[in-house]
Amino acid sequence: MFYDLNVPWTASDRELQRTVAFLDELGYDVVALTHTLSGKLPADLTCPIPTTLPFPTPSRLRFLRRCTLILADPSQNHRISQLSAAYDILAIRPTDERTLKQACESLDCDLISLDLTQRLGFHFKFKMLGQAIERGVRFEICYAPGILAVDGAARRNLIGNVVGLIRATRGGRGLVISSEAKTALAYRAPSDVINLASVWGLGQERGKDAVCKEARGVTVTAQLKRTSYRGVVDVVYGGEKPEQVTKAPALSKAERAEAQKKRKADAMNSNGGSLAGNSPKPVPKRDFKRQEKKAKTEGQVEVAPTKDAASGTKVNGVTNNMPIRMED
Amino acid sequence: MVRVKHRYLVATFLYPGAPTATSSKESLSQVLQFNQPTSDRLDAPLLLKAIRQGVAELFGDYGAGVVSPSLRINYLSPATSTAIIRTPRAHCQLVWAALSFMTQLPDPIAQPCVVRVVRVSGTIRKAEHEVIRRAKVIIKRAQE
Repeated sequence: MFYDLNVPWTASDRELQRTVAFLDELGYDVVALTHTLSGKLPADLTCPIPTTLPFPTPSRLRFLRRCTLILADPSQNHRISQLSAAYDILAIRPTDERTLKQACESLDCDLISLDLTQRLGFHFKFKMLGQAIERGVRFEICYAPGILAVDGAARRNLIGNVVGLIRATRGGRGLVISSEAKTALAYRAPSDVINLASVWGLGQERGKDAVCKEARGVTVTAQLKRTSYRGVVDVVYGGEKPEQVTKAPALSKAERAEAQKKRKADAMNSNGGSLAGNSPKPVPKRDFKRQEKKAKTEGQVEVAPTKDAASGTKVNGVTNNMPIRMED
Repeated sequence: MVRVKHRYLVATFLYPGAPTATSSKESLSQVLQFNQPTSDRLDAPLLLKAIRQGVAELFGDYGAGVVSPSLRINYLSPATSTAIIRTPRAHCQLVWAALSFMTQLPDPIAQPCVVRVVRVSGTIRKAEHEVIRRAKVIIKRAQE
């Protein structure tokens, strides 16, 4: 599973469609469409990215919605929780050391994405970055600005900053590599990205982790933060069937019981055919109804344990056929 | 037996850029657009020069010097947009990085493209197998 967690979202459909098709061609599995906000947050925080894109997409590709907030002033972020609820992933782009410190220590975000093509006026310190990594916040390296750079300065800064990040995170723990490409031309295949990272000093294994494992960690923790109970337990859709389908076998069982009864009654009738004169009145209507009800409940009781056995969970007698799955 | 060790990179050229204005290309599927044939003007010396330049730009004289003794284009097929490039074993990553940083074909053609390394192999035989396998896969995908 390869992840690209930074694909700039554009309103132009054709451009986006080509980009998405190209990402599929390159072999990515999960793609996060990014909307960038800067300065003061607008009043309306709803996500402009539609959940289903308005064109046919490759079936293998999964889409996430991400927001990148450019943080220039440490005091302007009291609505971040609202913002993070509207998107699948929230990334923060600090612009100076103060905002980076704040993002590392306290801000409730999933990713810290520095603009590495600029010359940052400070060194990364493990103490600061380590705090963020311990909290589960990952750092992002965007490679595409270096590829598209016309002058050498942006590329040089990118490489210098990446080396600094790798050093400060003790060999590249908790790094995520993504593209942030303005055009489809700047996307590279996962193996190419891993090789680039390895040339920059990240190491083959860490590079692969940065495209697969760490990126997956970001998406999973982000999802858990938003939907789960205390970020620990989440109920995942476990392939349970819709309401009607679960009821259908119970009904059929009752019918079968009824049919059996009828057969019995028939047999009784045929047996009692010799006693024709006695005219054995079949079961009274009230009794019949009672029996039917009983058969129905019995049928359901019969069905319930099998359902439990299949799903393996039973809470206070109430069948719960959603398997509770622990996520890491 | 002591011999010089190489790595063979199988590279493909992909064209994600906007299709040219002709309406016939518009109707082609995305797979065919990305894997369209390369211009016939691209030949081995031209590509070799571009790679040398790229390595020199990224890694300076050191990179160019370290790579140059065994750098060679073993196979180049514009029709399938595939190339096999021989590199020294210890420094194949430098050539690979230079290919990744390429954004267009060398100068007289100057068509925007993405170079993707699909296989790194120690023997040219396996590299050739990979080229054949990929050609088959792409034909199958194009027929769908």
